[in-house]
Amino acid sequence: MKIDMKKLAAWFDDRLALTPIFKYMTKKEVPQHEHSFWYYTGSSILLFLFIQIVTGIMLALYYQPTLEGATDSIGRIMTELPLGWLIRSVHSWSSTFMIAFVMIHLLAIWFTKSYRKPREATWMTGMMLLVVSMVFGFTGYLLPWDDLSLSATKVGTNIPMAIPVVGKWVTQFLRGGGDVTGDTLTRFYLFHVCILPLVIFAILAVHILLVQKEGMSVPLKDEIAKKKVPALPFWPNFILREVVIWLVLLGVLLTISLAFAPSLELTADLMAPAPEGVKPEWYFLFLFQTLKIFPANMGPVTGEFVAVVLILIAVVAIFFLPFIDNKPEGKKGKLIQYLGVAGLIYAIVFSIWSLL
Amino acid sequence: MRIDNAYFTRRKFLNSILGGWLGAVAASFISPIVKFVWPPYKEPDEVKLVFADYSGMQPGEVKNFAWGSKPGLIKRAPDGSFIAWVGVCTHLDCNVAWLPDKKQFFCACHDGWYDENGTNVSGPPPKPLRRLESSVEGEDLFVRKPGVGAKT
Amino acid sequence: MRKIRVLYLLVMVPVVLAPLAAVAQPSGVPPTVKDKAQIEAAVAAQAAPTQQAKPAPAPPAAKKPAAKKAEVKRTEPIVPAYSGIREKMAVIVFYVWLWFSIAVLIYFLRLWIKEADRVYKAKYYEPEESPRKDNPMAPVLGD
Ligand code: HEM
Ligand code: FES
Repeated sequence: MKIDMKKLAAWFDDRLALTPIFKYMTKKEVPQHEHSFWYYTGSSILLFLFIQIVTGIMLALYYQPTLEGATDSIGRIMTELPLGWLIRSVHSWSSTFMIAFVMIHLLAIWFTKSYRKPREATWMTGMMLLVVSMVFGFTGYLLPWDDLSLSATKVGTNIPMAIPVVGKWVTQFLRGGGDVTGDTLTRFYLFHVCILPLVIFAILAVHILLVQKEGMSVPLKDEIAKKKVPALPFWPNFILREVVIWLVLLGVLLTISLAFAPSLELTADLMAPAPEGVKPEWYFLFLFQTLKIFPANMGPVTGEFVAVVLILIAVVAIFFLPFIDNKPEGKKGKLIQYLGVAGLIYAIVFSIWSLL
Repeated sequence: MRIDNAYFTRRKFLNSILGGWLGAVAASFISPIVKFVWPPYKEPDEVKLVFADYSGMQPGEVKNFAWGSKPGLIKRAPDGSFIAWVGVCTHLDCNVAWLPDKKQFFCACHDGWYDENGTNVSGPPPKPLRRLESSVEGEDLFVRKPGVGAKT
Repeated sequence: MRKIRVLYLLVMVPVVLAPLAAVAQPSGVPPTVKDKAQIEAAVAAQAAPTQQAKPAPAPPAAKKPAAKKAEVKRTEPIVPAYSGIREKMAVIVFYVWLWFSIAVLIYFLRLWIKEADRVYKAKYYEPEESPRKDNPMAPVLGD
């Protein structure tokens, strides 16, 4: 039997409304200017997210989220399964790249002020994606269940306790009880492979729909001057350029993953003293160091409480940044730009400090 | 429709009953979910150890025991009695280690130190280690939460 | 035309398939481990193809002392590393192939991009027209 491909295509087109979508993609235009380069950061995150999903599913085929099985099952993946160590390495490195690109994406948008009206909601869903990405990292860090990850998780899940009343609830929710135990591991695994993926897809769908709805932003000064910015069609001109970037990133990722595969420490022992050198993943280091510089007690409250409250205020302020920066071309707009630079320097300096 | 001198219309009245009822039903569904997700906090009231395992300890010596899912630390006092602590740092919950040469408890997470009486002496810990009570009863060495009397 | 096609196949088939074949082998580039027991286990796993059902891990024994005897506790971290000239060469060959392939693909992509830009400029570039005029997604997205 000969299948009439044209008819088949028309059938799908009819049912799924493909023509309008393709037509939209060819009509969609991406402005070309001196800051266009940052338009590629969003799709780079998507590449790493895709790699996380594929390698994550592969690892989940053999990983066992139990006290007895967790470390050994990863040991088995690394030593017995064909190229298992490489799959683990790619998953671990791709998570680092993904978070790094989320941060670059955020900073690029901060500095170009693309969050300004009408893209406030895009920015706010973006902040949610940042938090979800970091929670992905936090929950994933415990899964090998080795010395370091256990202690880092104890510290991390204890931090909410600094806040009276609600903090205790949060900690008990995260741990599945008062202490970090096997229940915590089960819970973190569930978050990591089920709940967070659902959440990230839901938010991402809104984020990307909003980007399509508003189109790509043009530089602020061109918008004020009402200058027409030259543009390229998204399809195929822009997407082809994205493919070039994806290829390079894929090459870098594979090169690093092959050269620096992560090792596996000894199985965590709930009764053993904490090992030296407990530290979280690199993207939490500056927060970790911030907590460290506060003294134990500050008057009536603990130093930790003050630190946690300050961090929360900063996060909320960044979440509402488009509303705070309501006159981007004015003096306040400039100041907020400098604050972004200051924040970046702060994060870098504190991260390095925490390693000394 | 509003009856004379009534505060509400009939629709408002009925809607609020419906809404309130729905809210109550929702709450009755949600509360067991919340209870399930937040498990009861279980720390033992007391643990029973075999006295023979600890009777040979020298004064000043410190040994570990299991306090539920956490480590406990027990020290022999010069008069032969025992002093027990929960072996968990009061800063951010890392397990502490006893360093016999320094005669101090040490937390590696953020460099916290406690002296041999469990008092926080340097680093971020805000409070002394949590004390537990201990008593020898026949063959057994009991460690209890303060205030939990001997169960008979 | 036919000659070019044959030439193309002659080049591309080995370029694409050879590394795939190398990678597909379980013994591709196994990690080496410090611990002796681990090395032995890894060697044993290599000798016996992993597809064969491995004996199930010892069921958790009821009593603690027995469990302690049954399982050999790992005392060293597992650190992946390349050992032997063969593994090191394999990695280098893979790197060369990877970056060579990326270079080739980017070369062709650039041709395609140039062509797409040229077509766009020649035929469709109408600066007066707003890019969002008669946006076909408009009814879907509601603007
Ligand atoms: C999982 C994380 C994220 C993914 C997958 C993602 C994806 C994308 C994509 C594909 C685009 C369009 C291309 C581009 O401008 O780069 C975009 C645009 C945008 N993103 Fe994100 N994003 C993420 C996180 C964030 C974060 C953390 C923020 C900031 C708080 C953010 C704010 C924005 C804004 C304001 C735009 C519109 C930019 C413009 O129109 O010029 N996104 N995002
Ligand atoms: S947890 Fe012990 S010093 Fe921070």
